Amino acid sequence: MSFLQPPEPGAEAPLPVDANHSAALEPRSVRLEDWLIVSVMAALALITFANVLVRYFTSSSFAWTEEISVFLMIVLALVGGSAAVVRNQHIRIEYFAEGGSAARSRRMALLGAAAVALLFSVIAVLSVRVVWDDFRFDETSPGIGVPQWWYSVWLPVFSALITVRAAGQFMRSKRQVTGPETPAQHSAAPESNA
Amino acid sequence: MIATLLFVAFLGLMFVGVPIGAALGLAGATAIALANADSQWFGLLAVPQNFYAGLGKYPLLAIPMFVLVGSIFDRSGVALRLVNFAISIVGRGPGMLPLVAICVAMFLGGISGSGPATAAAVGGVMIAAMASAGYPAAFSASVVAGAAATDILIPPSVAFIVYSVLVPGASVPALFAAGLVPGVLAGLALIVPTVWLARRHKMGQLESSLPRPPFWKSLREASWGLAAPVLILGGMRAGLFTPTEAAVVAVFYGLFVGMVVHRTIKVRDLFAILRESGELSAVILIVVSLAGIFAFSLSTLGVIDPVTRAIVNSGLNEYGVLGLLIVLLLVLGMFLDGISILLIFVPLLMPIINHYQWDVVWFGVVLVMTVAVGQFTPPMAVNLMVSSRIANVRMEQTTRWVVWLVLAMCVAMLLVVAFPQLALWVPARLGY
Repeated sequence: MSFLQPPEPGAEAPLPVDANHSAALEPRSVRLEDWLIVSVMAALALITFANVLVRYFTSSSFAWTEEISVFLMIVLALVGGSAAVVRNQHIRIEYFAEGGSAARSRRMALLGAAAVALLFSVIAVLSVRVVWDDFRFDETSPGIGVPQWWYSVWLPVFSALITVRAAGQFMRSKRQVTGPETPAQHSAAPESNA
Repeated sequence: MIATLLFVAFLGLMFVGVPIGAALGLAGATAIALANADSQWFGLLAVPQNFYAGLGKYPLLAIPMFVLVGSIFDRSGVALRLVNFAISIVGRGPGMLPLVAICVAMFLGGISGSGPATAAAVGGVMIAAMASAGYPAAFSASVVAGAAATDILIPPSVAFIVYSVLVPGASVPALFAAGLVPGVLAGLALIVPTVWLARRHKMGQLESSLPRPPFWKSLREASWGLAAPVLILGGMRAGLFTPTEAAVVAVFYGLFVGMVVHRTIKVRDLFAILRESGELSAVILIVVSLAGIFAFSLSTLGVIDPVTRAIVNSGLNEYGVLGLLIVLLLVLGMFLDGISILLIFVPLLMPIINHYQWDVVWFGVVLVMTVAVGQFTPPMAVNLMVSSRIANVRMEQTTRWVVWLVLAMCVAMLLVVAFPQLALWVPARLGY
């Protein structure tokens, strides 16, 4: 058997290769998240790089920035997590999520979005209490000494954002009556920026 | 009882397509609420606290930075120049292009920290080149997927950073050093069946008619890429940088190479690079933090001790237990991504590791190597998914080729299990 000939092209329609591509297929507005992600990533890289430079050229340390970097990383996880909900980028067992009939994968999309919405609404509500405790007991941050609630207040805010996005995904899947091949996404109203 | 529910709920949610992070968080929160039915708010305040605490660790900052490095080097044009340089060395014999693909993937593994990113970078360059040299696309996809799996072994590696955060006593530099020899071994193990298959099935007959790039010119063009791992690993070794700092230095080096030297990255690409790597990092970090809730409920429910006792008293000896764990992890690796496996199982396995007094660094290497095999084992392999999409073949078509590569890498893994010095010699030598 010879393998000289190249594989027959177009045996299967190419699947979206990366996030960019699938984002292009889904004209959804997550501009708020995208700008935050880009700013936070840039800030993290610049702060850490500045740390290296300062340490080498001035022998003084810049270590208090660690606290800010850790905070920015938490913001990145939540905001990026929100964008990933809209773009369906969260790690799941794709074999089960994408296999099977259109009705089955739609049911799974509904269930997945509902589970994410439930979890993050719980986290949002519970973390309000954590923020209240931080505020009530005048907790200060270990590094810089600013009030801890300046940091923790963003946990309920961004958890609520993820909840809203997941609920939006749920509604979108619900309206999508037919299979995944139809461009049902286009008929869905784009979500407004919070 | 609640412990059983914890696992059943997690597995059940996962198998109906719920994202792994959400499955971990929901199962963990439910178990906490059931176990603390009498306390205020069912003890659920532990949920946001552990979510926050799971993320608020400075060493984790290395993850977004190394993901960013991978994303930048993907577009910096380094992969193509490394391929040309490698071809100029090995020439145009049969089976040489797949060999080059493996070597370049290993080399890029020394720059970026995650497997699928390398599969995309190498696949983008090599799969088309191999097709025009007459290699079947399914074979090329298999080779790229296997080669990219060596990435999480060859330092820097996101998997080792996560393991180090979970296991006190396994430092990132020690793990990075320990992954070096097993990573190269895994790559060599892949080369043997790849070249053999290519010759046996007379693939790539057109290859010998293609031009061979001139050595010195290719070396000069590839030198910017060749210097990157020296900068990252050498800088860490010399004590110049912490892993996070090494990553951020590599970010700016990669931007310089991509924007000024090779001119493949434009200013407006920066937004896409930052967005894409930020989102990918967030996806990893969210699983890390939600796994914190799961791990908390595991430890407070007291599940770990009975499981450990059952395994230790099962009548199997040390090697029987190790073998069992490896088989279990290989199977899981086919379904789950590597980082999720580490986050779920390392807290469970720690008491077993302590009981047999296994070296935590060596065990980390074995664990990551097992997970790496799973990343390109059909039917649910992450890397294979990426490379099959690039090669435009269905994943099932790759099975007949990829099976040989999986077996070869398993042999390499067993060697590391049998001879722990393969992993431990370099870190001992470097004094970590």
